[in-house]
Order: sequence, then structure tokens, then C-alpha cells
Amino acid sequence: MVSVEQLDGGLIEVTARLPRLAAAAVPGQFAQLRCGDHGGPLLRRPFSVAWTESQTCSFVFEVVGEGTRLLAELTAGDVLDSLGPLGRGFSVDAARGEVVCVSGGLGCAPFPLLVRSLRSRGVRDIIVLNGAASAERLYPADRFTRGDAGVGVVEATDDGSRGHHGFVTELLAPMVSSVTAVYACGPNAMLAAVATQVTGAGSPRVAEASLEAPMGCGFGTCLGCALPLRGDGRGPLWGLCCSDGPVLPLRSVDWAALLALPAADVA
Amino acid sequence: MSSAGLRVDLGRGLVLPNPVGLASGTAGYGFELAQLIDLDRLGALYTKGTTRLPREGNPPPRVAETERGMLNSIGLHNPGVDWVAEHYAPLFAAWRIPVVVNVAGAEISDYMHCARHLDGVEGVAGVELNISCPNIAHGLDFGRDAAGAARLVDAVRAVTGRHVMVKLSPNVTDIAAVARAVEGAGADSVSAVNTYVGMKIHRASGRPVLPQGTGGLSGPAIHPLALAAVAEVRAAVRIPVVAAGGIDDVATAFDFFAVGADAIQVGTASFADPTTALRVLDGLAERAAAGRIPARWGTTAVGSP
Ligand SMILES: Cc1cc2nc3c(=O)[nH]c(=O)nc-3n(C[C@H](O)[C@H](O)[C@H](O)COP(=O)(O)OP(=O)(O)OC[C@H]3O[C@@H](n4cnc5c(N)ncnc54)[C@H](O)[C@@H]3O)c2cc1C
Ligand SMILES: Cc1cc2nc3c(=O)[nH]c(=O)nc-3n(C[C@H](O)[C@H](O)[C@H](O)COP(=O)(O)O)c2cc1C
Ligand code: FES
Repeated sequence: MVSVEQLDGGLIEVTARLPRLAAAAVPGQFAQLRCGDHGGPLLRRPFSVAWTESQTCSFVFEVVGEGTRLLAELTAGDVLDSLGPLGRGFSVDAARGEVVCVSGGLGCAPFPLLVRSLRSRGVRDIIVLNGAASAERLYPADRFTRGDAGVGVVEATDDGSRGHHGFVTELLAPMVSSVTAVYACGPNAMLAAVATQVTGAGSPRVAEASLEAPMGCGFGTCLGCALPLRGDGRGPLWGLCCSDGPVLPLRSVDWAALLALPAADVA
Repeated sequence: MSSAGLRVDLGRGLVLPNPVGLASGTAGYGFELAQLIDLDRLGALYTKGTTRLPREGNPPPRVAETERGMLNSIGLHNPGVDWVAEHYAPLFAAWRIPVVVNVAGAEISDYMHCARHLDGVEGVAGVELNISCPNIAHGLDFGRDAAGAARLVDAVRAVTGRHVMVKLSPNVTDIAAVARAVEGAGADSVSAVNTYVGMKIHRASGRPVLPQGTGGLSGPAIHPLALAAVAEVRAAVRIPVVAAGGIDDVATAFDFFAVGADAIQVGTASFADPTTALRVLDGLAERAAAGRIPARWGTTAVGSP
């Protein structure tokens, strides 16, 4: 049982009846979705769990290749085959008072669930800094807040068509010293920019990002999803996105090595 | 579904409760899969390729999907044989599933070191010599050259009393010659095939997707190639043959039994569906119950010396 919702700017939200995933998923975890039937891609595709109700889970994506094209073609009544929840989610226990979420583009996906979880744990104020290329590509603010007055959304666009004209990370600087936690998800360059802001003295206790890597399995057996973690100075140590992550402390990632990797687009 | 009566004796102490195993590099050391499936129902776990010293593996991207297949260039990311012997083997010992440690190296002495180190270790049911890893420099040399492969097996044979399986590379002109050579040098069984050397181009840049250029191709795409290779190997040797290559259901597994394989390994298919090997086993047990499996199971593998 599936519903597919086309949002502005090419964003798509798929909701499917997945009661076990809904019950078990914590914010930041992902599911490996089968795209198409056996004629579709061989490997599953990883997607952050964006939202859960008691029986359903939602995922947010855009069509970038064959797998996402097939997902977008799902219609009510189709079955969505999901494996998960997988990976390590955000640490929510140490967050208090005020926290900030930094979202770039499709990095929005894990935040609705995270925001709900933080609020239910008594976090007083949550600011979501939401950036995208242009206004229509911004994930709608009310999907982060879900009507909760304790959640604020501040938007930024690269082309200035809505909100702050510039990078979303520029909005972060004035907040870093007052929050207890920073959570980020988006392009690697954005995450690296966040990392530089939260590593000094007086940085928030929790500073984490959800990262991506091309995956074979999603559950730690193929060793395909390597990400460079800070080693002992002799070059990066390879961690696994799917099982060490996808959420990692910002300070544990070797950002220079990550940014030096060839772009992941294999289309 | 009962899998009694599916026992396969591969010789020198390696007895598989059933012929369905998990291929090296597609099941790690079993710990992650054990969270997802009942590993102990399966016939064997072939571990990730293990080397003398720990290895960090290759920079990403390490995997790329292709038409009905995938390329990998993991580069033998593993914790090293000491760690496996000290920390993992005691856990293997508590499992019912036999664990065969896949061993890789650059020099004959590396393989000897690993085999010797694993020899008396409880929880290690045998070693599978990966003479064919396409993802490290020199990794292919032994697999390509029958005489080199024989020297390697001869040297390893001398330092271990455990079952020695040799994983054959399909990237050779004469796989039968390599199979015969390792049989002659004392291998207890052969497994075939490892991945085929393949490449994928990033079309926007014209450069290979995998930073090493090439990687190992696996999955359904290689099934017909692997079948032909296994048939050739079967005809060349009398020792048991363990088949791998593109198995994703009981039918594709049975194709290998039709060409004379004694046991099989499920690889890439476990990534998309970790229950694949169990489904294959259930299908096999069903066919066994209906009397539709080769008579050689239940006692000793056909052709065992
Ligand atoms: C833990 C995790 C969570 C993710 N969550 C989301 C999400 O919530 N929403 C969303 O839209 N996307 C998410 N992604 C990315 C998503 O998995 C890819 O966009 C998807 O696999 C593309 O599949 P495809 O078959 O459509 O494209 P392909 O034909 O496989 O590739 C098309 C394009 O997508 C890129 N791509 C492929 N696989 C990945 C990958 N694993 N990571 C990054 N880029 C990739 C390719 O390099 C290429 O640019 C996530 C990735 C990971 C690792
Ligand atoms: C990600 C990955 C890693 C692998 N690593 C090893 C390895 O370390 N040692 C080895 O002998 N074979 C390795 N293989 C090869 C498999 O064991 C198997 O021989 C091959 O993939 C063919 O089977 P399949 O098509 O069912 O995957 C690897 C395969 C894959 C896909
Ligand atoms: S995707 Fe296979 S180990 Fe992470």
C-alpha cells in the first residue's frame, strides 16, 4: 500500500505501509528499498526514514536515476519492499534547550522524524536551517514543523528566490554558541562547512551529520560503502557508511579526504 | 523444510551440513548477517578475504552497479589473520555453520603464515585460498599461472592439516589447467568462480567509476560464464567443486549441480535479499524430499579421493 506525492521542484514523498519499520526506526536511520520488481536494479537503494506513523513510513527523494524513477512510478496498491531500519541514527539523548538542524537539498529527509523525536524528549527550541538551490526546491517548512510552535524554519536559497540569498551554512554561525546540538544532512561540501564551525572550543556537545556513500548491501557485509574517517595521521581510516553511520560525529570525518574523492554520480 | 540428508563431505574434515554456502566477501565474518537471518541453517560461511596484516582496503567508490551485476574493488579490507584467529574464531566455534576462512596474500609466505596461524584454531573448518583477487596488485598472479598456483598450494599444504580449498579465477585462458595443477599439489577442493575483471565508465568524465580502473564483476550477469567455467573445472579434476557465480534462486543454483558441482556459494544476491541462501536451501530441501536431487549427497562427495 503506497501513496506517492509530487511536491514542488521535483521532490517526491512516498508513504507506504511498513509497520515494522515504522515501529523500529530511529531518526537518521535508513531503509534499503527495492526499486521495481526483479526487472529493476539488482541492488536496493538507501533512503532515510523521513516520517513514521504507527503503520506507515515516508521517504523523500527526487528522480536521479533508474531506481528513483521506478520508485516514483509506484501507485496505490503497489508493494514497497523495504529492508531496515539500518545504520546508526542521530544521538538525541544529550540534546537540551536549543538545537539546530542544517539541511541542504535532499538532506531534508531525516529531519522531520528527528525534530519530532527531539521535541518529545523535551528539547525546547529547534531551528531548522533549510537550504536549497531555489525556492521551489525547498522541502516545505510545515513538513518539518508539523504544526509545532517550538520548531522554527529559516530558509536559504542559492539563487535568492526565497529566504537568505546564499548558503544555509552562513545562517549557522550566529547560533553555534547557544545550541546544545547541531545535526546536519546535505551535500558533502555543506557538511564540511558545518564541520569547520563546530570543532572549536565552546562547540555544541553534539555535532553530527548523516552521510552518503554508494552501497552494495546496506548492512555491513560488502564493505563497499567506505567513508574516510580521521585516522592517526597516516591517512584516512575507512569507516562504513551503512554500519558506522550514516550518522557520524562531524569531528570523526576526514573532510579533506572526503571532498577529494571523485563525485559519486555514476549516471 | 528439513535439510537432513543434504550433507556434503568435501574431504579432510570439512563436512557441510548442506551444500548452500555464503560466498567470500559477501557475508563478512557472519556477524552482521547473523542479525538478519538464521545463519546456522546454512551449509558454510566463507569469510571475507583475510590477510597476514590488517588492510584498510581501497578508497571509494568501491562498488558500482552494472546491468544485472555489480563491480567491486574493496581491496581486501580486513582485520588481519591474528584478529580473526583470536577474536572471531571463538565466536565461530559456537556456531553450527562451518566457517571456512578465505585467505589472500601477495606472496606465498603470506598464505603460509595465515594457513599456519589458522591451523589448530577451533572454529575454523578450513581455508579457502583466494589466488584470484583482482583488486590488489599481484593478487592475480598465482591464479593466472598453473605452475605458480601449484607452488602456492604445495607450500600451504605443508603447513596445515585443515581442508584446503582453492578459489579459482575465471580471468585465465585455461581454468582447467589451473584446477588440475592445484589438485596435483594437494588441494582438497576447488571453488569457482571468483569475479570477472570488469570496468564501468563514468560517462560525464569518460573516466572509470572505480578509482582502480577495473573491479570484479559478480551477480546474475556472470551466471552463464560461471556455469561454463565450473563445467570445465568439473571435467578436469576429481576433487569436489564448489560453485559460485550469479546464483539468486534455487533454479540458478541447480544449474551448477547439473554441471557437477558438489556445493554452491551464494554471493551478490545476498546484498539485495539476505535470505537468498535460505531460499535456495529450502528449494533444495523441497526437491530432495521429492527425490529430485543428485544421489551423491548424504554420504561422501562424488569423486573424493
Ligand atoms: C544512508 C543514505 C540515505 C539516503 N537517503 C536519501 C533520501 O532520503 N532521499 C534521497 O533522495 N536520496 C537519499 N540517498 C541517496 C539515494 O540512495 C540515491 O539517490 C539513490 O540510490 C539513487 O538511485 P538511482 O537508481 O535513482 O540512481 P543511480 O542510477 O544509481 O544513480 C544516479 C545518481 O545518484 C547517485 N547515487 C547513487 N547511489 C547513491 C548513494 N548511495 N548515495 C549518493 N548518491 C548516489 C549517483 O551517483 C548518480 O548521481 C541516500 C543515500 C544514503 C547512502
Ligand atoms: C563485494 C564482494 C567482495 C568479494 N570479496 C571476495 C574475497 O575477499 N575473496 C574471494 O575469494 N572472493 C570474493 N568475492 C567473490 C565472491 O566470493 C564470488 O566468488 C563472486 O562474487 C561470484 O559469485 P556471485 O555472482 O554470486 O556474487 C567478492 C565478491 C563481492 C561481490
Ligand atoms: S553497503 Fe555493504 S558494507 Fe555498507
